[in-house]
Order: sequence, then C-alpha cells, then structure tokens
Amino acid sequence: MAAEPPILIEGLSKRLGRGVLAIDDLSLTVEPGQIVGLAGPNGAGKSVTMKVLLGLVRPSSGRVEIFGEPVRPGASSLARVGALVDGPGFVPHLSGLANLRLAARMPGAALGEQDIERAIAIAGLGSAIERAYRTYSHGMRYRLGLAQALLGEPDLLLLDEPTTGLDPAHIAEIRQVIRLVAERGATVLLSSHQLAEIEHVCTHAAVMREGRLIAWGALAELRGEHDSLEAAYLALVGAGERIAQTPGGAVSATETSATTEHADQSTAVEAGADRDAAA
Amino acid sequence: MIAAELAKQWRRPRTLGTLGALAGFSFALTIALALSGADQLQRVGDIPLLIVPERAGSSIPVIALASTMKFFLPLAVAIFAGESIAGDAAVGSLRYALARPLSRSRYLLAKLLVALLLSLVAVLLVPLAGLAAGTLAFGSHPLSAIDGSASTALHSAILTFSATDTIARMGVGTAYVAAGMLSIFSFAFLLSTLTAYPFAAVAGGVGLTLVSRVLNSDYLPGVAVLNKWMPNNDVDLWEHFFQRPAQTGGMAHFLLLQLIYAGVCLGAAWWWFARRDILV
Repeated sequence: MAAEPPILIEGLSKRLGRGVLAIDDLSLTVEPGQIVGLAGPNGAGKSVTMKVLLGLVRPSSGRVEIFGEPVRPGASSLARVGALVDGPGFVPHLSGLANLRLAARMPGAALGEQDIERAIAIAGLGSAIERAYRTYSHGMRYRLGLAQALLGEPDLLLLDEPTTGLDPAHIAEIRQVIRLVAERGATVLLSSHQLAEIEHVCTHAAVMREGRLIAWGALAELRGEHDSLEAAYLALVGAGERIAQTPGGAVSATETSATTEHADQSTAVEAGADRDAAA
Repeated sequence: MIAAELAKQWRRPRTLGTLGALAGFSFALTIALALSGADQLQRVGDIPLLIVPERAGSSIPVIALASTMKFFLPLAVAIFAGESIAGDAAVGSLRYALARPLSRSRYLLAKLLVALLLSLVAVLLVPLAGLAAGTLAFGSHPLSAIDGSASTALHSAILTFSATDTIARMGVGTAYVAAGMLSIFSFAFLLSTLTAYPFAAVAGGVGLTLVSRVLNSDYLPGVAVLNKWMPNNDVDLWEHFFQRPAQTGGMAHFLLLQLIYAGVCLGAAWWWFARRDILV
C-alpha cells in the first residue's frame, strides 16, 4: 500500500476578513521526500497556506490532509510536523534551552533529553543557549526557531521564509540542515522570496499568485528553456493579466512561454498539474 | 500542559513584579502606619470601622485588603488574565503551541486555570503579607473596632475580636473578595482571546473596573439603576463581617453577578477561541 502523501490539498480556498480571498482553489500534492519550494510575490497566500496546513487557519472550502488525516486544530498528525512560520516565537524571559524544553513537553511531543540535545546542536548557539531569549540577535532567534521545528525529527517540515535577514553563513547552514532532513526521508515545504534559495535546496517548486497555484513541478521542468528558476518565475508572474483571465487559473506552458517569446518550448511549466491530476 | 504553563508564567517578570508589589504594599502600609499613625483611629471602609492598628497586628490585613480591592487587585487580576493568551500571541508562541496535537479547548483550559491560580495568589498575598507585617510590627492581640454604623455621639459600639476570630473573618472576607474579582478576570480573559496586544486586554479589565467605580450610586445617585449590575461595586461588603452580628446582605446577589459575568465572558472566550484563525 502506498504511503499517504505528507500533504494533500484539493480545492482549498480561504477567505479572510473583509472578503479578501487569500487562497483561491488551491490543489497540491506533495510526495514523501520531496523538498518543495513555495514561491510567489507578497500576498500570494504562501503563509496562509502554511497556517492552514498547521490547523491554525480554517479553510473556507476544500480538502486538506496531512499524512492522510484531515487537518483541524489539534489533529494527531500534527505530531509529525515541525514548523517555522512567520518567524520564531518564544517566551522572551526564558533561556533558549528552557524554551526548547517547554516545546519538548508540549502535548504530542513526548520528547526526551536526547531530542533536546540534538536540537541544541542544530541551534549551534553554544553557551548562549542558557541566556534569556530576549537577548538573542535576529540570526540566533531563527536558529533556535529552526531547532524547535526539528525537535523530535518530524516527518514533515514547514518553513516559511526561514532565512529572512540571515547572513550568508547562516543561510548556508540552514540549507545544509534542510538537505540533511530530506536525506533521512522527511518532506519539506519551504516558502521563500528568494528563488536562488529554492533553486539551491528544493527538488520541486510551486508558484502562487493572488492565492492561486500558477505553476507546479520539478525544478528542471519549471526552469525549462530559461537560464534560471528566477527567469522562469518572472515569465510566469509577468504574465499577470493573462494568468488572471485563464479559466481555472491554470497557466499552460505555451501561454507562459509565449509571453517570453519562447512559444516553441511547450513542456517547460506544468501549471496546475496536480489540480488536473486530482480532477 | 498546566505544569509547563505554570512554570512559564511563574518566571515571567511581570508575574513576580505584580505579586511583589502587592506583598510590598502590605509591608509599606505597615511601615507608614508605624511611622505616622498606628496609635490613632483609622477609618476602614464604608461602614465605617474605626481601628487602632498599634493595638493589633491583625488589623493590618483588614486595612490592606480594603485598600487594594477596588483598584490594585483588579489591576493584578486583569494583568494575569489579559496577558494569558494575548501575551503568547504577541511573542509568536501561540501559533507554535496550537500547531501541536493539542485541542484549543485544552489549551484554553490550561491558560484559564493558571491565570486563575495566579489571581488567587495575588488576592491571598495581600492579607497574608499584611498579617505577617502587622504581627511583626504590632504583635498578635485581639482586634478592637468601633462600628461606625452602630455608634452615636453618646455611645461607641466597640467590638472585640480575638486573633483567631479576626483571622477566620478575614479568611471568609478574602474568599469573598477573590470571588468578586471573577467578573474583571473573565472580561480581561475574553479580551485576551480577541487581541494580540496584551496591554489592550489588561486595559480592558482595568477599564471595566473604572466604569464600575464611576457608575456607582454612592457618587452618582442618578445611576442607581445600574449599580446592582456593576461588577466591582459591592466587593467591599465583606467588611460587614466585622460587625456583630455579621451582615451578609447583598453578598448573594454580588456573587451571583460574578457568576453571570464569568459564564458569559468565559463562554464567549471559549466559543471564539475554538473558531478563530491564528494569523499572528
């Protein structure tokens, strides 16, 4: 029997306050072991999608499952998920270590000293792990956030802009951690504004725009005839008006390529592939 | 979950500062009285009771509780309730707590119980610290009080309570004040589920206290019709335990009012928190 996909999203829509449609008919299936980059401009719906996957935001419609279990607040499958979403969030007056211990004692975690030691090693904060969290620099906070996300070696890791504001050395460290996580078979969904980041660590990418999935596939397929993922992304996002007018929101490879005068490359982008497959 | 939450809240500087300030108030009050007026009659409450602190250390908890019940204690309770969930939202730890296999009801219950416990500690601390400071300063003697409501120009109704009797009456009075904080607590707790700004939730609790004090028929006779629905106005009725016989009129209504406020506010908090999107 095939393993349940770590992430299954079908027809997900989320309308926030004042009628803003944050996610619009999103369908996406992430298979075990994939490292998926979630790209898109500000307001594309990436963070909200992550929060729906964590049971923090209720879908307005659609189906969302983690390891075959429908996502809802407190779903048992969330025990297999680690996350760093909207930046780290810790208790300021407690030390980094005390915060990790607190996370390890949360329901569903049931983690031991060995798990905490492993997380401390990932954080790499040295003696600063004993200091109050409020004294940490931006980079230290993110490293602690990543360590918390990796507590207990989750099977699915959700990372929302994990390298924001970090220096190149820290970014390289985090990329290395993500690769190691994937090597042990875990699945990673990583949102980033930096396409180079996605290109460096991801096996697949999904591009969102105005809440809709406009492209999805393996990196090589998405890149197509373009020099880089960035060039392919700009071609997609630059296709703005035409994308919006496409029935169902899916962008065909031909349409996308045509906007960049590469109409002869017809298989570069598999926009909406999963939605089509699901249908 | 409750133990972890308690450990977290207990070490919060604001918790220690609030409790320290309340305990410190009783000691500061004792020192101030010892320096200036412990040998003079002190008026306590609306009855009024007239007490000479120097003659009984057990008078200090009576004065301390009467002095804090209308603002400082509601402020402390509003801090513990208002910070409970909004405080986590403000630092971003709320989303990580709720991204676990933990039902929101269970999370809310843990938060509620810990905030209630800290609020109870705050209320207990005032008379206990007062008793300790008063006994140290003035010794343990029977408390003599003049019942202002039963005294006339020709006759002072002097009441004497043994130290044990005083402590027992204070115990019941403290329980009454603790129960009287339930409305402020519940309102601040509800606000804490609605906002990511803990200051707003705390200010809301304090604001309700102030509204209750302003809409008080003792000062504004025209609002008498509202008086019996105000959450904090009758919190001082416990002072009537120091009359003979002890008077309990109005207490049952006040306690019922606290339960109504608690039921409505905590019910709304649970209903909303179970459904809300956690976007911060």
